[in-house]
Amino acid sequence: MTIININIPVRIIDSIKDYAKIIQDVVKMNISFDILKFSTTPKGITLIIDVPSEKVSQINEAFKKEGIIVERKSTVCVDNELCIDCGACISLCPTGALHLKNNDELEFTKEKCIGCLICLDSCPRSAIKET
Amino acid sequence: MTKTYEEINKKIENGEAVVVTAEEMINIVEQKGIKVAAEEIDVVTTGTFGAMCSSGAFLNFGDSDPPIKFEHLWLNGVHAYHGNAAVDCYIGVTRMNDKSPFEYGGGHVIEDLVSEKPIHLRGTSYTTDCYPKEEVDTYITLDDLNQAILCNPRNAYQRYNCAVNSSNRTLYTYMGKLLPNFGNATFSGAGCLNPLCNDPDYETIGIGTRIFLGGGIGYVIGEGTQHNPTKRLGSLFVKGNLKQMSANYLKGVNFEKYGTSIYIGLGIPIPILNENMARKTSIKDEDIKTEIVDYGIPRRKKPVLKEVNYKELKSGTIEIKGKKVKVSSLSSLFMARKIANELKIWIEKGKFFLNPPAERLPRETVFKPMKEVKTQKFVKDIKKQAIICHLNDSINNVARKIIEENENHVAIIDDDGILKGIVTSFDITRAIAENKKVLSEIITKKVITTTDDEPIDIAARKMRVNNINGLPVIDKYMRVIGLITSEELLLK
Repeated sequence: MTIININIPVRIIDSIKDYAKIIQDVVKMNISFDILKFSTTPKGITLIIDVPSEKVSQINEAFKKEGIIVERKSTVCVDNELCIDCGACISLCPTGALHLKNNDELEFTKEKCIGCLICLDSCPRSAIKET
Repeated sequence: MTKTYEEINKKIENGEAVVVTAEEMINIVEQKGIKVAAEEIDVVTTGTFGAMCSSGAFLNFGDSDPPIKFEHLWLNGVHAYHGNAAVDCYIGVTRMNDKSPFEYGGGHVIEDLVSEKPIHLRGTSYTTDCYPKEEVDTYITLDDLNQAILCNPRNAYQRYNCAVNSSNRTLYTYMGKLLPNFGNATFSGAGCLNPLCNDPDYETIGIGTRIFLGGGIGYVIGEGTQHNPTKRLGSLFVKGNLKQMSANYLKGVNFEKYGTSIYIGLGIPIPILNENMARKTSIKDEDIKTEIVDYGIPRRKKPVLKEVNYKELKSGTIEIKGKKVKVSSLSSLFMARKIANELKIWIEKGKFFLNPPAERLPRETVFKPMKEVKTQKFVKDIKKQAIICHLNDSINNVARKIIEENENHVAIIDDDGILKGIVTSFDITRAIAENKKVLSEIITKKVITTTDDEPIDIAARKMRVNNINGLPVIDKYMRVIGLITSEELLLK
């Protein structure tokens, strides 16, 4: 699965019906996906979705036709050489991808990372990097 | 039953001393009782590994030829303190590199020195008859220095706050990144492994106590600055020879938008001289309490939300106002355990001996706030009347008010008098340029505000950080009760 970031600018969405239509278009392509994050801002709607890797380009093209911005969402990685197992990142991680093993050692489970990047600037050793 | 330092050291010398970590001691006392534990256990080791911002190192470079008396000097671009003899300096860990601040600082210089990396030394002088050299530009390593002494006026705090943020924006603090609306919580300290928690009355930890410092041997040389024993917030002044230390236990760090520091590994052995010390070293995480403090209020006295203990903190979740909040540590428990174990091995192998303190640390002193001779001014002291318009007003109306009142900021309210936005003269100009007619289209809805009792320094920082010139003053119901602009701050 691949995590992608979809930005739907406000001019495209007038009502929730428009949003539903866009989702329906994706459903028509017979693609199942998980919505990891849904947020609305004055600039529009941001969706972070987890889609089957082989369907990424298909989704990409469908959305681009509608004027929707699709980006491959990055995740993070932890440089174990730099990490000092302090845990400054852990309380910031919404999914538990960053957690303690044996109650004291930092462990990063990449599969759980949704690429929110909240942790990125929290590491005092700059051990967390975007990939 | 009591033991002396001499008896314990004799056992260490013979390889017979029974040494356990402070975590192991809890189970031993639980299973065998205090009396048996006091008889069987000779030494309990402790450890902590966290940010210790007061730290730094005294370095002596030896004389150049011709000799130089430094006026200013930099180590890898980090300005070192020089107000002592010709070629001595103190490199402080929070001092940041002139060109890349918030990335590299004094803490990183110390880590690099201990890692045997070459360090760029640049220094300048005003020159004297005895010190004629004007400038030095060279590379040095730890080996090239005569003395390199880690000297930290305040380390190993007994316990520390748990930090949260009630405000509506993300804060970057020395307690790490704090998400808005109590989005997360951070704490520091190793709880039951923390050195001073195992000797809370400073009976065995005092001036002269030999300790594990940065992977080498160090000494307690006094009470730490801000030592606050009456509140169980003691701290230690420590020193040690950097040349014996290891970069595994000295790590330069940078906290985003806060600055640089260093993480230091520190461990102290507690001799089990009697049942009293056996009881004290069996302290559990749940017995060590601290407070959840709101860093959303940037004042000296921050609101305390509630008490919490280290068992709850180490569990990963705490409850705040009925909501579960993720909590994590800034100091490393993994490293604290490693240090307590390392010290245990040193003692078991007869490489480290215990000594009684030459003098005990103060137990009655209090920590005072700064004396300020100028009285603090608050927003209410300098605010002016706000120009207010209603959401339904026309842009023309707002423009007229701006001219009539000669004021750049207009607060926009609804029928209930609640602040809904702000409009500046620039917004009006842009509205004309873009041919906008409706007020709601041009107002800034996300308004940065202040309150009557906010110190003016905080209001000034809000303007600076957000690059704005005015803040509406609001009451607790979000009603506009005034305005403060950069003009008032200049005239204060």
